[in-house]
Amino acid sequence: MATTACFIIVSRNEIPIYEAEVGSAVKREDAAQLHQFILHAALDIVQDLAWTTSAMFLKAIDRFNDLVVSVYVTAGHTRFMLLHDSRNDDGIKSFFQEVHELYIKILLNPLYLPGSRITSSHFDTKVRALARKYL
Amino acid sequence: MGREVSESCVDSLLTEIVSTYNNRFYANKPELAARRIEAIGYQVGHQLSERYTMERPRFSDHLEAIKFICKDFWSELFKKQIDNLKTNHRGTFVLQDNRFRWLSRISTDPSVENTESQDPSAAAESKASLATMHVYFPCGIIRGALSNLGIPCAVSADISNLPACSFVVRIKA
Repeated sequence: MATTACFIIVSRNEIPIYEAEVGSAVKREDAAQLHQFILHAALDIVQDLAWTTSAMFLKAIDRFNDLVVSVYVTAGHTRFMLLHDSRNDDGIKSFFQEVHELYIKILLNPLYLPGSRITSSHFDTKVRALARKYL
Repeated sequence: MGREVSESCVDSLLTEIVSTYNNRFYANKPELAARRIEAIGYQVGHQLSERYTMERPRFSDHLEAIKFICKDFWSELFKKQIDNLKTNHRGTFVLQDNRFRWLSRISTDPSVENTESQDPSAAAESKASLATMHVYFPCGIIRGALSNLGIPCAVSADISNLPACSFVVRIKA
């Protein structure tokens, strides 16, 4: 089953520190920019919604055509945002939780400056593997 | 992800950090050594808070975050909770630990004097300054943890009666 999915991590200072296209569908040339545009536009909505609830996983918060944006906010106000077309809420929640663990491992690296871009190829490989598994 | 750490190793590491920074790296510049130690604590607190808040829901206000520090965070680090929390409801919190683990081994006997001290007040002062060096690291940890939770603050410690230790947290703005 081919799915479209775009995943970005935005730090507390509104700077994207990681982005990846993790869907298994064939990608059109303009799809990547469109996906990023949608995700950045959803940031305002996340901002408002994040203060109303103390849960970490905010389900579908925005729609565009048939694509849905889901967000997971950590205690340090780092946002994991996923743009997808599937409706698998539990799978997405597990995906976010596993990525949160990976993110904490990156944070534990004393040479990593919090808020800077994540450039580790190991992290990239693992995120894509998790996406294939849960999405 | 949580594994166990030998407590004696942590104690030795902390004692060595304070001693190295004071005597080798920044000899005769205790303020610089203090700031470096506090910066190390800041990074550690930042990472630890991210780790310990993973399972639980996020915090709705400052008091919730401070209570998290007093209960869950402190018990993960020191296997006990903060004994007393006071606030003036205007951005200042006092966290009091009646038996702070990392200072519990420092001697509190005022009659013991080392050979270089000239008079009792100087001995007491040098003993106090030695103990103050040891609290910069936990102050940094608290500051780093709160900053990661979105609360910029300044943390200082009051060690007038060892082994009890009070941490004063002043929230900025």
